[in-house]
Amino acid sequence: MKNNYTSRSTAMNGLPWILPAFIFVAGLIYYSIFYTFKLSTLDWNGLDPIQTTVGMNNYDKAISDWIFWKAIKNTVVFFLVTFFIQNFLGFIFAAILHSDVKLATLHKCLIFIPTILAPATMAPVFRLLFSPQGMLQDLFDTLHLGITVDWLASPDSALLILMIVTVWQFTGMSFILYYAAMSQIDKEMLEASHLDGAGKFRALLSIVLPNCKSTTVSLAMLGIIGALKTFDVPYLITTGGPNHATEFLGTYIFKQGIRQSHLGYAAAISVMLLLLAICGAILINRANKGGEK
Amino acid sequence: MKKSKVVVVSLVALMLAMTSALTGCGSSKKTEDTSSETKGEVMWWGWTPGSPTNEKYIAEFNKEYPDIKVTWKQTSIDAYDAALKPALANGKGVDAFEVSAGSGNGGIQVFGGQAIDLTDAVKKALGEDYKDKLNEASITTMTVNGQLKALGVGTVYSGNLWINKDLFDKYNVKIPTNLAEWKAACEIFEKNGIYGFVQGAGQGAFNIDTFHAIADNVSPGNFTKATRGEIQWSDDSIVKALELWKGLFDDGIMQKGALGLQQYPEANNLFMSQKAAMVMMGSWYTSNALPDAMKSAIESAASKEEPFTMIPIQFPDIAGTGNTGSMFGDLDYSTAVSATSSNMKAATTFAVWLGTSQSGQQIIADSLNVVPSLKTATPDWDNVKLVNPEQQNEPIKKYLENAMNSGDNPRFGGINADMNQALMDVLAGVAGGTITPSNGAAQLAKTQADSE
Repeated sequence: MKNNYTSRSTAMNGLPWILPAFIFVAGLIYYSIFYTFKLSTLDWNGLDPIQTTVGMNNYDKAISDWIFWKAIKNTVVFFLVTFFIQNFLGFIFAAILHSDVKLATLHKCLIFIPTILAPATMAPVFRLLFSPQGMLQDLFDTLHLGITVDWLASPDSALLILMIVTVWQFTGMSFILYYAAMSQIDKEMLEASHLDGAGKFRALLSIVLPNCKSTTVSLAMLGIIGALKTFDVPYLITTGGPNHATEFLGTYIFKQGIRQSHLGYAAAISVMLLLLAICGAILINRANKGGEK
Repeated sequence: MKKSKVVVVSLVALMLAMTSALTGCGSSKKTEDTSSETKGEVMWWGWTPGSPTNEKYIAEFNKEYPDIKVTWKQTSIDAYDAALKPALANGKGVDAFEVSAGSGNGGIQVFGGQAIDLTDAVKKALGEDYKDKLNEASITTMTVNGQLKALGVGTVYSGNLWINKDLFDKYNVKIPTNLAEWKAACEIFEKNGIYGFVQGAGQGAFNIDTFHAIADNVSPGNFTKATRGEIQWSDDSIVKALELWKGLFDDGIMQKGALGLQQYPEANNLFMSQKAAMVMMGSWYTSNALPDAMKSAIESAASKEEPFTMIPIQFPDIAGTGNTGSMFGDLDYSTAVSATSSNMKAATTFAVWLGTSQSGQQIIADSLNVVPSLKTATPDWDNVKLVNPEQQNEPIKKYLENAMNSGDNPRFGGINADMNQALMDVLAGVAGGTITPSNGAAQLAKTQADSE
């Protein structure tokens, strides 16, 4: 009891030191959130002096908007596919590079480099790669495979292309976090498992993977939030098309708010996105705590 | 009260104060105009026609107004609204800005509220009968609530194809006038490793142009009537036009992967690098018939080819109705003056010069980028040298005359933002086979009803 009181007292004493920065940051963040919520109750183009209050109509509109639901569906599929593939690859790469591999530093760099490349730089490259006039088409033509690379034009394949690009770009992030997590695992634990007769694959599944659980949870949380905020890759490569096949909440908010000047509606979707992000983070956190118990 | 509660209450109070302070920061203040009609610094925002043409306009302007420094600030057509909105809301760094009629980027209905009324300035420049001296659309489409919010610089028209005449001659291909000839031409070019017709169908605005041309081919004027609510979008002629639109993809006229391609830069680059023989572009493309502009466009397409002979042709009669030659147009861009500019007088001088003066409009006419707003300004054909005058002069002169006589057939002027998006969605859906033509037409009719 005394210890609790002491730690709370210490925290209160430290508060004045962080107060200016805290107020500034929290003021900005909460101001933006409150202001977005206020905007979501308006019918306004963003510039007109006249703002019409419409209550919760923008939320009703979103609920009955098929493009909004399409964006949600795309987000869920995108998260599930990219999360599992990029973390699986990141985990495997990290495990391999923890063993004796020649030129390990070079391999680490090669895996991580895509993560630091700006999507704006890479988008034209991918557009060209997956275009009927692109390098992949040239390769297929040279090999006389008879395949036409029009995947960005097809609603069925365009989302897959975006997922491939994302996995290519962010596997390096998963790899580096798993690599760091694996460095923290007690070597004696692994040696003990070998003495008990566990093979490398068994040790990877039963020792390494459980010890990387907190990293997996963090990556899941980042993945959910990242998927909800996805904008640059779909906007730059497919602009959300064809016919909204690769629409995400971020691209739809941009189109509604900027192109169609429905700022209130865009704000309503933004608020819903925020709620979804919070719910996702809470769910993963709870699942993690449940697992620990 | 406990110490912890005091701290929490103080924190909340401070945060609210911070929020209030920030809200206060958002309100705009009136700025003082520090310029005069002959002196000042003008920041001119826009998306077209781009460097170096805009700098040529500025150089011509500075011959008459040497003490007004104009700086051209360009964004891409897609990024324009996103960049301009915060700049105008902020009230700094924008003096003159381009706006457009209708629902495209820089729509006057959205941005007009941030612009001053230019009526008095135009009257001063052209007299009380200024309306008789300017293109009617340059006044009517830029008037919002009785105020002239911008001055039209020139009009663009669409509804035609541009072809690479050199490629047609080289492969002995007949210029298409109907669907069968169009398919045959595309097949010949394909066999020779060249795209016949190319369209960036992933960039919806240009799909609307092609669809409008088809709809006018099926039944002239019905597209415009539908935008005005005079007929339903579910009308049989619109459904038929959607079927023909779908046919362009099924019959191999649209190149493979068209829905994944952008008109700019990709389709444009294919045409400019002579990898495609036909493209759906409008009168703004005429400037590429000038050697310098074409060289620049070819270089931008990463090609080393020499300039070639491009000419406009009528949209082929794919409906078999005989209704051809329809063109539709809007003001391409107009110049507005920001109501919060600190160089308002100088910016007004520039906007009025560009949109109404003989010298300003003559350079616009000679650039062949748009058809000028001032009726007395026409291209000086003795001064304008095309890549291949022998083959290009007559078709282009006739083309521009036809465009100017196209009558009441707006391009995007009658389409609001919701209908614009709906048209893009339906055209992409029908082309991709996810929406049937009749369902697409019904979807357009519903959006029209909702947006009204």
